Amino acid sequence: MLIQLTNAPEVKVFRQAVMDGSGQNLLACLQCGKCTGGCPVAWAVERGPRQTIAMILLGLKDEVLASELPWYCVGCAICASRCPARIDFSRVAAALVEIAVAEGRAPAVGDIHRWEEIFLASVRRNGRVREVRAIIENNLRARRPWQDAFMGLAMFARGIFGLEDVLAGPAQSQPAVAKIFENVRRIRMENEKSEVRSEK
Amino acid sequence: MKVNYYPGCSLKSTGRAYDESTRAVCAALDVELTELPDWVCCGSSAAYKTDRLLSLALSAQNLNQAAAAGFDELVTPCPYCFRRLKSADSAIKNDAALCRQVEAALGAHYAGGVTVQNMLGLLRYEVGLEAIQAHVTRPLTGLKVVAYYGCALTRPPALSGYDHPESPQSLDEILRALGAEVLDWNYKTECCGAGLSVPRTSVVVKLVGRILEQARLAGAEAIVLACQLCQANLDMRQHATNKPGAEHLPILFFTQLMGLAFGLPAEALGLRHHMVDPHPLLSAIPA
Repeated sequence: MLIQLTNAPEVKVFRQAVMDGSGQNLLACLQCGKCTGGCPVAWAVERGPRQTIAMILLGLKDEVLASELPWYCVGCAICASRCPARIDFSRVAAALVEIAVAEGRAPAVGDIHRWEEIFLASVRRNGRVREVRAIIENNLRARRPWQDAFMGLAMFARGIFGLEDVLAGPAQSQPAVAKIFENVRRIRMENEKSEVRSEK
Repeated sequence: MKVNYYPGCSLKSTGRAYDESTRAVCAALDVELTELPDWVCCGSSAAYKTDRLLSLALSAQNLNQAAAAGFDELVTPCPYCFRRLKSADSAIKNDAALCRQVEAALGAHYAGGVTVQNMLGLLRYEVGLEAIQAHVTRPLTGLKVVAYYGCALTRPPALSGYDHPESPQSLDEILRALGAEVLDWNYKTECCGAGLSVPRTSVVVKLVGRILEQARLAGAEAIVLACQLCQANLDMRQHATNKPGAEHLPILFFTQLMGLAFGLPAEALGLRHHMVDPHPLLSAIPA
């Protein structure tokens, strides 16, 4: 990949947005690579935390937001416990996902994001996640309904889950959760409007 | 001791063995659990990654519920709920602008003043090893185990407030107090792949395979842990790791072993809710 570096202002805007969103000072990064060395998912993606931080500092917004690592990151925070500059990359990954989602970009790893959406929809509808139903919905939408079907039967036989897990409706606390989802959506829209106004 | 209990969604579902054994062990130790009224999901990694404000507000809702019920501490067995609740409180406390946003999302004032604790931390540091040891009627003599902590109990280090991020001891110490032979190994805090188990099963199978291999190399007969998601991954994905001739390793909650050592009936500890049947191993412990 050949990249033409520029000193355009948007380079700094993206870098700052990631630092603000994550609360991490990426300018302190020494590029030592301890994060990538310990990362449990770096082997599965095209580049690990160290390279991703370098690219953020270079302002390569489109390339960074199209990369797989932020979606794969499970927040184990091994990077945070080893970083000599005290950067928690798992927070950087979360900030990158949040920016991509807020900008309406297609998620770089669609099936991981689909699971996150199904999970949150279950929380919104029920107040508590109905995990067995959410997993069934995920595997149906991923068009691999048999993936965990036998496992599911074996789990059912051992009482790891019961019929009530498949049938359970909303918890008593669901209205409070629905209100939070609605308020968060409203706050986002208001923030976007005021950003548009300030740009004009 | 009275304790305010946040089970979290999984413990009410596929993690029920952890909930059942936790309740049984706490009752035996005279730790009285009161479940938080109308608790809600913490949003887990899905909310944390896609919408920070939502994630903070869901945790804040639980902490507000706790404060309204007159609680000053909230204890959860789930390491991920623990991390979400605890980090939300610290983020909101230390950032006035963020606090205003969270309050707008809640439609209510954020009360604060509730400390978040993990069940392992509570039993190890507040109940204590002496009290645990005093309840042992059936020591787990000869049982060779490794303690597996996973990620969220001790990391990020600034947050969890107890134990070392990569060489934790609290679980080892409890298991030793029960009379088990606790082996040293290098994979105490390696990640199991967590929620990737659903959308990216192959990643979890690979990570779980390494952890199981290291436990076997150490000579363990079982892996003992304090997280229902680690338990689910290590137990359910074990058959897919396909090591020819490898022994199946039971994956046990530390509360289940505490219960056994306290002489509680096996049925009260959820021991049938396992893919790898632990009964053959546990029946070899001298009565």
